[in-house]
Amino acid sequence: MKIVYSWLQEFLPEAPAPQRLEELLAGLGLETESIQTLPAPHPQVVFARVLAIEPLPGRQVRKLILDIGQEVAVVSGAPNARAGIGVALALPGAVLPDGSKLEERRIAGVASWGMALSPKELALGEYAGGLIELPPEALPPGTPLAEVWGPETVLEVEITPNRPDWLSVYGVARDLAATGLTLVSPNAKPQTRSLPLPFGAWIEDPQACDRFTLSYARGLRVGPSPLWVQRRLFAAGMRPISNVVDATNYTMLELGNPMHAFDARYIREGLVVRRAQPGERLRTLDGQERVLSPEDLLIAVKEGSQSRPAGLAGIMGGADDEIREDTTAIALEVAHFDPVRIRQSAKRHGLKTEASYRFERGVDPDGQHRAADRCLALLQDWAGSGVEVATERIDLNHTQPPQAIPFRPTYTSRLMGMDYPEAEQLGILQRLGCAVAPGPQSGVYLVTPPRHRVDLAIEEDLVEEVARIVGYDQIPTTLPSFFPHPDNLEVEAPYQALERLKQVMAGLGFQEVINYAWSSPEECALLRAPAPTIYMQNPQTPERTALRTALYPGLLRNLQTALAQGEEGPFLLFEVGHVFQAQETPHLAALLSGEAIPGRWQPGLAGGFFALKGLLEAAAAHLGSTLWVEAEATPHLHPGVSGAVYWNQRKVGYIGALHPAIRQALELPPVFLWEVSLPLPSGAKGFRDVARYPAAMRDLAVVVPEKIPYLEVERLIREKAGPYLEQLLVFDVYQGPPLPSGHKSLAFHLRFRHPERTLTDLEVDGFIQQVVDGLEQKGYSIRR
Amino acid sequence: MDLNQALEQIGKAPTLEHLQALKVQYLGKNGQITQALKSLGQLPPEARRERGQELNTWKKALEEALQTREKELRQEALKAQLERETLDVSLPGYAFPAGGLHLTSLILGELVNLFRRLGFSVVEGPEVESEFFNFDALNMPEWHPARDMQDTFWVDLKPPFTLQGPLGETVNDLGGAVLRTHTSGMQIRYMIQHTPPFRIVVPGRVFRYEQTDASHEAMFYQLEGLVVGPNITMADLKGAIHELARGLFGKEGKARFQPTYFPFVEPGAQFAMWWPERGKWLELGGAGMVHPYLFRAVDDYRARQGLPRVYEGMTGWAFGMGVERLAILRYGIPDIRYFYQNRLSFLRQFR
Repeated sequence: MKIVYSWLQEFLPEAPAPQRLEELLAGLGLETESIQTLPAPHPQVVFARVLAIEPLPGRQVRKLILDIGQEVAVVSGAPNARAGIGVALALPGAVLPDGSKLEERRIAGVASWGMALSPKELALGEYAGGLIELPPEALPPGTPLAEVWGPETVLEVEITPNRPDWLSVYGVARDLAATGLTLVSPNAKPQTRSLPLPFGAWIEDPQACDRFTLSYARGLRVGPSPLWVQRRLFAAGMRPISNVVDATNYTMLELGNPMHAFDARYIREGLVVRRAQPGERLRTLDGQERVLSPEDLLIAVKEGSQSRPAGLAGIMGGADDEIREDTTAIALEVAHFDPVRIRQSAKRHGLKTEASYRFERGVDPDGQHRAADRCLALLQDWAGSGVEVATERIDLNHTQPPQAIPFRPTYTSRLMGMDYPEAEQLGILQRLGCAVAPGPQSGVYLVTPPRHRVDLAIEEDLVEEVARIVGYDQIPTTLPSFFPHPDNLEVEAPYQALERLKQVMAGLGFQEVINYAWSSPEECALLRAPAPTIYMQNPQTPERTALRTALYPGLLRNLQTALAQGEEGPFLLFEVGHVFQAQETPHLAALLSGEAIPGRWQPGLAGGFFALKGLLEAAAAHLGSTLWVEAEATPHLHPGVSGAVYWNQRKVGYIGALHPAIRQALELPPVFLWEVSLPLPSGAKGFRDVARYPAAMRDLAVVVPEKIPYLEVERLIREKAGPYLEQLLVFDVYQGPPLPSGHKSLAFHLRFRHPERTLTDLEVDGFIQQVVDGLEQKGYSIRR
Repeated sequence: MDLNQALEQIGKAPTLEHLQALKVQYLGKNGQITQALKSLGQLPPEARRERGQELNTWKKALEEALQTREKELRQEALKAQLERETLDVSLPGYAFPAGGLHLTSLILGELVNLFRRLGFSVVEGPEVESEFFNFDALNMPEWHPARDMQDTFWVDLKPPFTLQGPLGETVNDLGGAVLRTHTSGMQIRYMIQHTPPFRIVVPGRVFRYEQTDASHEAMFYQLEGLVVGPNITMADLKGAIHELARGLFGKEGKARFQPTYFPFVEPGAQFAMWWPERGKWLELGGAGMVHPYLFRAVDDYRARQGLPRVYEGMTGWAFGMGVERLAILRYGIPDIRYFYQNRLSFLRQFR
């Protein structure tokens, strides 16, 4: 919201300078986004009156004859130029906001002595569709506009949704005044006379509309608003329309009550506030034809037993009943609506107006008379000398009186951690407009907030008011010191395990990446990941229609990007993140592409499956865990190079080479992947004494059919070797002569050790014989 | 034998092998000196003594010469070995890949460690969240204008997906489901699960339906903090954030609090930290005293699950802050989109 500084000063004569004001507002909770100055127009921009208009045959533009103390001619294409209105004329020599300098020119054969300006060309707003229209008698023709339009300071502030009472100049002034500044109250009253009201008003849904006032004024002359009003409205971010509409907008900006003026000619018996019927239609002021539903609250014109929609209540008026140039009498509606009703309706129509913005947050349900009075008094000033205002006003009031809140000043001190004297606290609440009464027992007060503070409902709200006005900077700093309840003691373990795992992966040479959580069914299908289970209702892009079911697609995308961008390999990437299948689960995925350890100028360590598996084994060793892999196919991996990963005896995921079909589709070099679900089961930790007795070493080579996995042989040896086998290492895998074809030889180092004595050769030979027997029973042969 | 000739031979022996051969030739079991010494017994006693002395002198001389030459040869051999083994150490080594954590993880690690120092535990929560935990229980009912402050990704929640509640129960039916717009839902989940007093921080990714540009991302990280106990005050909140500022910005670090509005705290605040290097305040997050609505919502939920009400009479505070923003400011990163594009040449700069 924009606050025009000079306007604020009208209510707060002691307002500090803008920079200090910004600090003061911040201390109250109102953040200033910018402070800007609307400059005075260039001195060569003068007030001019349009005397006549002459068309230029064959041209879109027309010739305007203007009075600026003398007659001058300019050429203009503005559609709204007409004889009798006042305009702003930039004379030759004037500099426009875009920096261009005007010169006398011949346009369409006419010597154009300057340029008639639109609001945009006056730096007043975005509107460039026509000339700014000024009252014809506003100034002596030729007067520089800078004489009345000095520089204006404008603060752009961000209003939090809980404080609709700040959505007006007066509202901001009122809050500032609670810090000790003098506040000038707005109590303008129109001159009224007794007039019969030509209409009535009815509320059909008092839930949705609990306050409805309707005032009557006649004898108005519709025309442009006074110069200063137009400037102020522009400065506040609104475009002047006509004095009647401007008066309603001006009052809303000043006091915060949105209002609407209907042309009294079209109102007939009166206005009804009711829900729309399904399929009813209304053309709103913005020219849109809207199909209504019972969610919409309407202002309707009563016509016998029927009523015709005339406006979306609290949002926007209807185009058929708007104020026109020939309007002379108005019905001025100032009401209060249920915020939720307005919000639903505005959202449904995608309409956000100054009125709906205020109503959906909460407008003062008691400010209707003051606002109507102010608006009508302005009209008596701005819309001719013959404006008559009816003394009588319709006021349908179903509002409930505000509830008193029990308030303990000691609670403020307890919650904030500092002592606030009771008298100071009560004084602050009173300055904010609260009524403070003694409560049921000592130390408790009954505090009734003012009607405009719709946000004050509970004791904590009042605590904040006190702390806010005293200033948060006064609160001391301490540290919370206590022993947590025992059921909080082990909550950190999962996160610590995660941190450790990430550190290990990084230590092994993997770079962590963090990918978006999104994927799409198309991507999952292409990369053979499980189909999505969670779809977005409002996806941002076609690639983000669902949530990911695996992490490796993201890693493959990262690899593609890295290759496309010529990043330096080899690529060792990992990610820890949530995937979404039947549940949300954390996963760890890693990718290896390229050499595992490049040698640069000497041979390096090739990458490939066993490089990635070795890194996985190292990760397991770092984490004190056992690991094995059993051949098992999974859709996205090469069927001959993929296996299930067992971590501390539990299957946690897969490792393998990316399926060649996917590789080809993505045009990738060989890629090796592993992905496991977290948390990884942890291994047992315990003490085993360091070796004191010598070990006995034996070697053994076993010939097995090549289809037999290594792991099967290893398990058999371990099983047969007995409890003193300390280590088993495969040191050779061989195929070829003299072995029979279809066979391979696996050669092992076996290390035996007894914890309490030296094993004899005889004993060890016995263990080996058990192993040999076991292997031979299986039909494997020993290579001697 | 000619001693001088022998000594010369020894002194010129070209290799250790030659030297060994000479040693054997003269001093070995069948060496000339050894043999001569053995044959001493055949000499008359007088001659024997004289010859004996001479032979011993020779033996000693030969031994010394052998030793000297051996030392020389060993030194030469070492020298040759050293020369042979000399490398151009200026050549680069094997390119062991240097891994690293993502910048976001690094910043988060820094933040959570600062809070651990203050006795906080680190916990995490789910990214797909029930409307109830993300909004309703946080005092943001449907049609609350505060929901506009956070543009939301809504998701379809249907079988086979199950959304788990804080106690492992299914919560698919607690309203709609969203990609969490903030980590604050974990306040509710954690309180339902645990008994106060406690101190926790919750790092996690959050999602906003926003057009992305240099300063807006649809996904980013937050750190949430929550302290609840019988006598927790706003002064404690200020103290913890102040300590965070000192941890991040050094001894001149400090924090500033101003009132603002979040539906789930009352009183509410936003905080900024003083950045001594640049001499300015950085708006980093929101905070405040836990709104009593939350305690009630939590106790109601606990009661429905058969757990005792334990939050009546408690007070607490919570804060939430953006994580990327801290890195963006500290390192002068011009565009938040760098974070999750995962360009390696970006990520590898932060290790």
